[in-house]
Amino acid sequence: MEIFAQTVVNGLLLSSIYILVAVGFALIFSLMQVLNFAHGVIYMVGAYVCYYWGAYFGLGPWGALLMSALTVGLFGLFLEKFCFRPFHGDFNRTLMVSLALIIILQAAADVTVGGYVKRVPTVLPGVMNIWGLTLSNERVVTFIIALFLLSGLTLLIQKTKLGQQMRALAQDRDAAALQGINVHFVSGVAFGLACALAALAGGLMASIISMNVHMGDAMLVKAIALVIVAGMGSIGGLFISGLIIGFMDATLPLFIGGAGSDVVAFCLVIIILLIRPQGLFGIEV
Amino acid sequence: MNISKNSNLIIWATLIVFSFLLPLFPVGPYTVHICILILTYIIATSSLRTIFISGQASVGHAAFMGVGAYTSAILSLRLGWTPWITMLVGALAAMALATMSGYLFCRLRAIYFSMVTLFFGIAVEAVMRTMVGLTGGRSGLVGFPRLGVINPFGLGEINFATSKVPYYYLLLILTLLTLLALYRLEKSRAGMNWMAIAQSPLVASSVGISETKFRVLSFAIGCFFAGLAGSAYAHYNGVLSTSSFALLPSIYLVIYMLLGGVGNFAGPIIGVVVLVAIPELFRSLKEFTPFVFGGIMLLVVYLMPQGLVGLFKSAKS
Repeated sequence: MEIFAQTVVNGLLLSSIYILVAVGFALIFSLMQVLNFAHGVIYMVGAYVCYYWGAYFGLGPWGALLMSALTVGLFGLFLEKFCFRPFHGDFNRTLMVSLALIIILQAAADVTVGGYVKRVPTVLPGVMNIWGLTLSNERVVTFIIALFLLSGLTLLIQKTKLGQQMRALAQDRDAAALQGINVHFVSGVAFGLACALAALAGGLMASIISMNVHMGDAMLVKAIALVIVAGMGSIGGLFISGLIIGFMDATLPLFIGGAGSDVVAFCLVIIILLIRPQGLFGIEV
Repeated sequence: MNISKNSNLIIWATLIVFSFLLPLFPVGPYTVHICILILTYIIATSSLRTIFISGQASVGHAAFMGVGAYTSAILSLRLGWTPWITMLVGALAAMALATMSGYLFCRLRAIYFSMVTLFFGIAVEAVMRTMVGLTGGRSGLVGFPRLGVINPFGLGEINFATSKVPYYYLLLILTLLTLLALYRLEKSRAGMNWMAIAQSPLVASSVGISETKFRVLSFAIGCFFAGLAGSAYAHYNGVLSTSSFALLPSIYLVIYMLLGGVGNFAGPIIGVVVLVAIPELFRSLKEFTPFVFGGIMLLVVYLMPQGLVGLFKSAKS
């Protein structure tokens, strides 16, 4: 029973972290048609910046997390303006820029903080007892924070003017520009937002698992898997696909080991691509 | 036109002669090692370009290198076959896998094809990791035979065990044969069909080019040479680890190719040479070396839209 409850908590936690990263990836793809392979590295940078704010500037866990989101969000604005905007519409060159970012940011993290094992202090240490079940506080809290962030993002996209503009951009960039939407501003904000969310996910995750320079690689693969299962351009579908893949990652290693569960998860993605390339919830053919 | 064709020939001939004479210069074994690496990557990247020109942007190429490498290593270790034969079998195994998966993946185009090859690549790597008994898993496979002493046609002994130079010549000959085959294929009718499919699958099939057949053909041929590169490198290196065939190595192959320029046959060669050799020159920087690599990439992306090939072309004219 206890293992079951812990697995459920782990599944929810992994799902919410995956969704936080994948939402940003999907946002960038649908708004700018950029396949941002650097998104996994941004997640890693988020964890490292969070560590940096905590260890070198003495901020508490909450402050470090917030400052990390802010720093990486601003960095995202910078990236959009100087690295992706000049090559808008040129798929090969935006791909190259994102790959170059992977290499440079990984080297930067390696040089500044170092590749050896570190952890970010947790926001809420200890364990809690609910109905006789022992659950670790940080995992539950992390899940709740992620839930808040995701609801906030959904509200932003569905209810506000900025969200409307984003959806207009995703539908047709030129038409949106003709309606007087400042496309550069909106895509810049979206890119910054996506980076900030990835950084928050990184900061939250780094308090649970120890961080390393390559933690973003696996996360990038998960984010792409989520986006494919949900369908490119479907933000709402990410929640379902996130739960599917998150729970697969939480339960399968118990039975068939880490590598085996990777095989199953990746084969699922391949099968979905072959049978329904538009994803489970995609509309575009 | 004729003059430029002649000058092209002269450049190629000079390069080939130079690469054959290279071990005669006083170079250390480390330089030879880097040259062998460069040759392996040239085979892999050029074969990747063969897949790209048929409009299939594959992001899982390193996995096929891994299939070739592991097939060859395991056959020579378990069955005691000579590596000279298993290398070919490894390449054929990669080709067989590519043919089967190519038929499945054919229904997907553009970005969806890239995604499915990406996941296929990491799935293949994960499968290799699960088969610990056969592949050694994460800790790697060691102890399979390397190329020993051979005596071709009684002309004299070549000892692969004492020096890296025979391996260098072996890889050089393999590279030249690969490049020749790929060049001939690209200029043949099949190559024209590939480019037609890349431009517009609809128009290509309306003039009677079978999209499935030619896309699978280019995928299978590309992966055959990837398997060859992988198995040749395995018997040179003597150690195999699954992580050398995961996502990142596949991405590196794409980087070499895009940076050199997809539009030109020499693109992958220039890309590999520049991106492997220049960071090696800055090896003393240790952990700062990736910045050199990334810096070159950004420089090329910002300044040379055609890739490095564009630079060489404008320098020639």
